[in-house]
Formats: sequence, C-alpha cells, structure tokens
Amino acid sequence: MGTSMQEKLGVQPRRGLRLSDILVTVLVSLVFGVIYHFWGSVYNLFKPLFFEADELLYGMWFAAATLAYLLIRKPGVAIIAEVAAAHVEVLFGSGWGLTLLLYGLIQGLGAELVFAAFRYRSTSAWTLVIAGAGAAIGSMMMDFYYSYTDDLQTWMFLAKYGMRVISGAVIAGLLMLLLAKALDRTGVTSLLRPASKKDYEALDDARHV
Amino acid sequence: MNIWNPVRITWLHRANPVVKLGLIFALFFMTVLTHDLDFMMYQALVFMVCLVVLSGVKPWKMLLFFIPFLLAFISSSSSMMLFGKGETLWWEWGLFRVSEESFYRGLHLGFKGIAFASEGLLLVTTTSSVDLFYSLMQKLRLAPKYAYSFMASIRLLPMVWEEFVIRRQALKVRGVRPIRGVRNMVNRAGMYVVPLLAQSIRRAHRVAAAMEAKQFNGDQVKARTYYYPSRYSRYDLLVIGLLAAAACCAYVAAGYFPWFGIGDVRFD
Amino acid sequence: MSNATVSLFPAQSAEVQQEQAVQVEGLRLKYPGEERLMFKDLSFSAARGEKVLLLGPSGCGKSTLLQVLSGMIPRATEVPMKCEAQIVPRSWGYVFQDPDTQFCMPYVDEELAFVLENLSIPRDEMKERMQAALHEVGLNLEELHLPIGHLSQGMKQRLALASALLLEPEVLFLDEPSALLDPEGREQIWDAVKSVSEGRTLIIVEHRIEEMAKYVDRVVLFSPDGVILGDGPPAAVFAKYECELKSYGIWYPGVWEDYAQTRAGRELFAPVDAYGEDLGNLLHEAALPYPLDGEPVIRLEDFKGLRWDKPVISLPSAEVYRAEFIAVVGPNGAGKSSFLLSLMGLLRAQGTYVLCGEEVVQGKARKVRKKREQQLRQIGFVFQNPELQFLTERIGDEVVYSLLVDNMPAEEAKAQADRCLERFGLSGMENRHPYQLSTGQKRRLSVATAMARQPEVLLLDEPTFGQDARNTFAILEMCERLRRTGTAILMVTHEMEIAQRVATHIWEIREGQLTSSMASPRLCTGAESRQEDDGLNRAGESYDPSSASAAHLTGVNS
Repeated sequence: MGTSMQEKLGVQPRRGLRLSDILVTVLVSLVFGVIYHFWGSVYNLFKPLFFEADELLYGMWFAAATLAYLLIRKPGVAIIAEVAAAHVEVLFGSGWGLTLLLYGLIQGLGAELVFAAFRYRSTSAWTLVIAGAGAAIGSMMMDFYYSYTDDLQTWMFLAKYGMRVISGAVIAGLLMLLLAKALDRTGVTSLLRPASKKDYEALDDARHV
Repeated sequence: MNIWNPVRITWLHRANPVVKLGLIFALFFMTVLTHDLDFMMYQALVFMVCLVVLSGVKPWKMLLFFIPFLLAFISSSSSMMLFGKGETLWWEWGLFRVSEESFYRGLHLGFKGIAFASEGLLLVTTTSSVDLFYSLMQKLRLAPKYAYSFMASIRLLPMVWEEFVIRRQALKVRGVRPIRGVRNMVNRAGMYVVPLLAQSIRRAHRVAAAMEAKQFNGDQVKARTYYYPSRYSRYDLLVIGLLAAAACCAYVAAGYFPWFGIGDVRFD
Repeated sequence: MSNATVSLFPAQSAEVQQEQAVQVEGLRLKYPGEERLMFKDLSFSAARGEKVLLLGPSGCGKSTLLQVLSGMIPRATEVPMKCEAQIVPRSWGYVFQDPDTQFCMPYVDEELAFVLENLSIPRDEMKERMQAALHEVGLNLEELHLPIGHLSQGMKQRLALASALLLEPEVLFLDEPSALLDPEGREQIWDAVKSVSEGRTLIIVEHRIEEMAKYVDRVVLFSPDGVILGDGPPAAVFAKYECELKSYGIWYPGVWEDYAQTRAGRELFAPVDAYGEDLGNLLHEAALPYPLDGEPVIRLEDFKGLRWDKPVISLPSAEVYRAEFIAVVGPNGAGKSSFLLSLMGLLRAQGTYVLCGEEVVQGKARKVRKKREQQLRQIGFVFQNPELQFLTERIGDEVVYSLLVDNMPAEEAKAQADRCLERFGLSGMENRHPYQLSTGQKRRLSVATAMARQPEVLLLDEPTFGQDARNTFAILEMCERLRRTGTAILMVTHEMEIAQRVATHIWEIREGQLTSSMASPRLCTGAESRQEDDGLNRAGESYDPSSASAAHLTGVNS
C-alpha cells in the first residue's frame, strides 16, 4: 500500500500548539474573561457576609487555566488562557489595571507547573485539584508584593489563603472537570483531540480492504 | 475596534502602543515600589487627572471608571484596615483589630488600587486591540499566531453574547423555571455555559481552518508585511515626557505638601 | 481493491489525460473515533479549467474530500489518511459555508489585508489589490474600512470569495457557499462565482444546485458511504440518478414540482378551501372546517414590539385564525424575527394583544410577568439555532421535558414523546446527546420539542434555513399535520415556494411595518381570497410573488 500522507509531505504530527489550539484557548478564555468581570460583583456581594468569605469564590478566577488545559491538553495553554482572560478584564476597565495581567500570568504558571509535573498526561480529579490549588498559591505570591499580606495577623493570613486554596481546588479543579466532561459529551471536543496511532493503523486494517 | 470608543483623539492615542505599554508598566512598577503614603495619594490623584484629560472618552463613560475605582479602593483597603498587624491599637471588636499601622497601610493600598486602575485605563482607553497586536508583532516580534488568535477571538466575542441572549430566551420558551439552592445554581450555570462554550469551540476551530486556508503561517515573522505600520513618532516622546512629568509632580507634591506625613507605611 | 466509480462516458477517460489541476488516487481516510472508513480507495481528479460539482447526501464526505484535495487535511486539520498519489494545486482559494466564521478581523480592509500580509505583498500595493478583488466579486464598497458585521450574509460570502481571489488561485474550492444564504444572497454569490471562474478550476460542493446545475461541466455523485456513484455531464447524471437526487435531499431544479407529484406532496400542497374543508385531504386526521369560527386565536391592535424602547415592529391591526399557516416574508432586518419575539413576550410589547380570547397583560411587575408567561405558554416557539434550545443530555429527554413542564404525568409524557420522536424519524437514538445529531436531525428535534405540546399557536423562525430538501419537506409536513389539528402557524421564511405552496396566508414585513397580508395561492385555489374579510389587508400594496419564485420554477427537470 502507499505511504501515509504524513511521511510523504514531511508533515509530522505536531506536538506544539497549532493555530486552532491557540484560537480555541483564547476564545474560551475571553468568554471566561467576561465571566471573571461579572464575577467581581458576585464576589463583592459576598464581602459583607462574614470576614473574607469572598475568598471562597476566588477560585473562579483560575478556571480558564484548568478548563483550557482540559480541552487542549498541551503545554502552555494554561498560561495563555489566564493571560487572555485577564486581558478582557483589563479591557473592560477593571480597577486592578495591568496588575491583572501579571496575576493572570502567575496564576496560569501555578496551574501549568502542576500539569507539567504530571507531564500533561493526567486529567484526573486529583491533578485538577492540585492545579487549582497551584493557581491559588500563584496568586498568593503576587499578593505578597502587591498588598503587604505578610503583615496580616497570622490566623487571618491562614484563613484567607486557606479558603482561597480550597476555592481554587473546588471551583477551578472539580467544577471545571465537570464542565469539561459535559463538553466532551456534546462531542465538540473531538475536534481538538489528535488522532491516535490506532486510527492511523485502521487505514491499513485488513477488514477494510 | 476600541470598546471605549473615544470621541476625542489625544496625544496618547497617537503614541505607539508598545511605547505606551512599556510606559504603563514602568509606572506600574513605580507604584508597586512606592511605600510612602503621601506619594501614593498624589500618584492616584495625578493619574486620575491624566485619565480625565487624555482618555478622550465621553464624560458619562468616565463615570464608569469611578465604579471600579471605588471597588478597587474598598476591596484593597478594607481587609488590611480591619485585620492588619499593628502596635498602636485604635479599636478592637471581636476579631476586628484596627491599629494605626494597619489603618494607614489599608489607606495606602486603597490609593494604590486607584493608581493602578488609572494607569491601566490610560492604556486601554487610548489603544485599540488591533493597533496593540499589530505593534506587538512588529516591535516585539510576537508570533502572528498569537496576535491573530487574540484579534479573531475579540471579533467573535460579541457573537457569544448574542448567543447568550438567545439562550436566555430559549430557556424561557422551553419553560425552565427559576430554581433555588447551590446545586441547582451550578446546574443552571451549566445550562448556559455548556452550549455557549460548545458553539465557541466549534466556531474557533472553523475560523482557524479558514485562516489556514488563506495561507496563514502562524510562525512567520520575518517576511510578513503589515497593513498597519507600527512606527515611533514624536508623540511617543511627548507622552513619555508628559507622564514622567506627572509622576514627578506627584513626588514633588508629596515632598512639599504632605497630608499624612507618616512616610513609609511598612513602619520598619 | 474496489473501485466503485461508474464512468458513464468512456470518452471521459481520454480527457483524463489532460493536465490535472487536482488529483488523488486510492484515498483512504478515517475520522478518529468513527467505526468505518470515510473513503475507501477513492480516486478523483479534475482537469485544469474544469468546473466540477460534487453532490451527495449529507455526511457522505464531500466536504472532507474538498479539504483533502486542497491539502487542508492533513496540513491544518489532522485526520488519518493516506493515498497512493496526489496532486495538490500550487495555488488555491477556499470559501466555506458559514459567513460568520471565515474572518478573523473586524473590518473589510483589515480582513483582505490579512490575506495580503500572508503573501508578503508590499503595503502600498494592498489597497489596489483589495479594490480589484472586491470589484471582481461585485462588491463595490465606497469605503473599505467598513465593519464586516454591517454586511449582509450574502455580501460576507462574496467578501470571502474576494479574499480567496487575492491568493490568485488556480483552483477554487467552494464548500456549500450558498447554503446559509437567502435566495437573493444565493443568486449574488453564484453570479460572483461565475464571473470569476474564467480560466480557473472550480470544485464545488453544494446541495442547492438550481443556480449552478447548468453551469458546471461535470457532476460527481456520491453515495451515502462515500463511494462515487456517477460521474459525467450534468444532464446525463441527473437523468440517470433522478431517484438518488430525490432521496439525498438535493435541491435540484424542479424539486418542488416533483415533490408535488408524490403522495406526501399532494397532501402538503392540497388546496385549502376558504369556506369549506381542506380539499384532497388524505391524512388520517379529521378535516377541519375553515375558518373554524369567528374567533381569532390572535388579535392585534396597535401592536408594537420594542427593543431598547424603540419600536422595531408595529402592526395597526392583524388577526390570526385557527388552522391558518402564515408565511412571514420580507427582507433581512425588516423585523420578522422581532415580530415573533414580541408575540412570544421576549421583547417588550405595547398595544392590544388578545390570545385565545384573553388579553395578554403587559407590564413589568412580577405578578403581571408571571401571568403573562402563563398565558403565553399556549404558544410554541422554534428558534433558528436548534442547539441553543436543547436542555437535556439525552434526545429521549428533550421532548419529555416539554411535556413535563405542562404538568403531564411522567409515564404518559414518556409514551407521547416516544411517539413524537418516531414521527420525526428520531427513534432509536434516544440515548445520544442532542449535539451529536446531524444538522437536519437537530432541527427536527427542536421542532419536535415545540410541537409535542400541541400549542394553540406555533411560531417558527426560518426552520428550513440551510436544510436539504428532504428535511425541509419533512418539517413542512409536520407543520401541516399540526395545522390540520387546528394550530395556527406563523413561519418566518425566505423561501417563496413555501409561502406560495404551503402557507395559507402571506404577510410581508418591511422596515418594521406589516406592509401587506394576503391569502396565498394555496388558499386562493380553493375559493375567493378571504382578504377582504380579514380586516387586515390594507389596500394599495399587493405582493407580487411571481417574480420571486420564477427563478426556481424554471430550469432543467430531469
């Protein structure tokens, strides 16, 4: 039989990010950016509830990173997703200005490092929980520079960031896993998955000849 | 395409986006490293004035600025004021513990929030996305596949909003009733998010295919020609001078007319 | 190895010796996750300058083949494939189906510049080339810096064609470029295609072939499993494969006449007598006297639908009676959809609106809103995009949901939903996700969810838009069945054939006004027009349907 197209045209199945990977990541993240923007008002509603209850909602701001990873499953998308989402917030005139881009970068990095530690292979609930928490820790590091958080009373510091980590793990981790599964059921994500070796082998399958 | 739709064109609009971006980041680092309460307050004030003068947006839209400002102020300052560490105790009630140090630190953070917001808006209101990404490609060698992904996605975003509106109507037509409880809220959110994201993914995928059909090479930086040239001009110098002068004004004012006079809020 | 190509004309093989513009030999291709191969040892080629039309039922792989021929598969989209030999054209342009997903930039000039940038064309040549390309496709814009969003769908497709022309293509691949356009846009895009095709190879995939059937040199017909059935000059293929064309749902010239000859067609188009019964009613449902009684289902007086407090549609007075089928026609953006939305209470409305003898309350207060929602439950609504109307993750649950909302006991709902799915040809796939249906099936399911409730009034916003002939007829048959049970139907449509042959009345909306309302030929055939009694006909303007439909009625009939 003839040689496969891949060999012939010298096109290797690329592992890096393709245009469609980036475009899907960015568009999905922009949608999340709009959600982030409005999430701010929900967040502020929670403020008066009890001290720092708002931290329980903080995890939503890491959701783009984990969802984009679950969709594309390639290196780099978590960071791109968070920066893209933050970019929308900046565009809409957020009170945080360009700091958001840096927050996005470091939060995305937090999640990205976790995914990298699992070699971009795992999409288990634990991985997602750890990634969500990783993004929360990323945002905590930004807070050190930004707002003297080390000067908070110790118990307060622990409560604040404890809640944030939990929120990251639950919202960005578990909830996004549920969302990604719901998207998988619709079938659209099959557009984003690379073909497996098995699919290529099926071309030469004797049953088809 | 600029969502703020300015009606006046100022120097800031004419300056190169990359220069502005660099400038705003420089201001941003200055603000991060400012620990003097008076300097911070004057920065917030000066950049707010710059924003009103240079943004060129309609006055009623400027009101929209001040909402995030207020939020930035409150959310940056409140938790530090109420829960910050400090020696000189002013007021204590249950877990709340306002000390002199934490109060000023909170106030400092509030002004910092306003300064950040103003600096960010200076860039956002005067730069369209297309200009920004064209400049980033030409001056900072950003790979076109990233720049065009952003520009294409920004174009597609309003369609997602239209679909959101239709989805809301469709849910009403199908007789979906309002529901209570956290679990149901998550379900309902899913009813919106899943179809909208599914459509977005499909759409993004199609646009990517259409772009590649137009012989787009996402990594090509060198031979690519650009419809909008990105050049440096005298406006860049003017803007650099203007904003540097603004920062200096804030610094000098803080030296000569201190309001608080407590110096470094870290109290080290 | 099986080569299923049936060459109708042996003489063709001599021509194959000509220089090939595109060619693929022994193509095998399989989508990941699919059970079977899409193509099994398929060979296809087209000579330089040849105009080829690829026909086949949806899902037969025509579009995939186009992507393989252009090299998009596997270069841009990874799909496992292999072939023995292939010629990919040196330069080619591609126009896709959906006008909204072909552009990456917000303005016309920026989009065209994007193509020119890809080719590294110097900046000072860009404007000139843009203008030339736009001129070629007949888009004469005064200002190039125009938001693409301001263009009509037909203009967007011509812009897509213009940007393909900037690539100076030897071969043009057209993937159903007119499927999502109204008749006017369809005509324009094909005119543009014809005017640019000189000296170029054209490979066209389309299921609407009224405009192109006579223009192409060669038609290639695919079977549902991706095998080439027939290949030859259009007239010969149409003659030999008439049956297949019909069963594949292709819009060939004369499809409406042929359908009218069938049993289902005779029922669907059966003349309606304005004062007596449906003539020639062969359906088992009881025939309805017409009009049923003097009481209209919907009565509107001084009715206005508002968007942002501005009236977008106003009707001084109008009435809809039971068992009427009203085709709402008019140009794009005239307010047809807004009309339906305001009837459904999705836009704020003003004026008198009586539904089933009860005035629909207007107002914002919570109680009023609740009452209104309750009243409007008697109306069913079908949006254009079916996906946005699905609520569940199982096809079986979709219809059940509609019935449960109307407080039907669960078991009864289940049984009725099953019957409904069967009627719509969707039984056997209850467990699949609605999103995984084909576009035609999705559309049928969305219509089913609205029809199962047996509403007094059914509003449909272009339910046949972009559908193949088979699906269109199926949906219309469903509407007709429902109409015969007494439901009044209002359908926004651009297809004059529907307005003429299926509807009982035609309302025309222009610039937010109901400019004319008249009985359709279907009703007139039975008796005198009822328009005088309607109380809604305003003299002066009459609708001339003959001009709009003439284009479809002519043409070869196989």
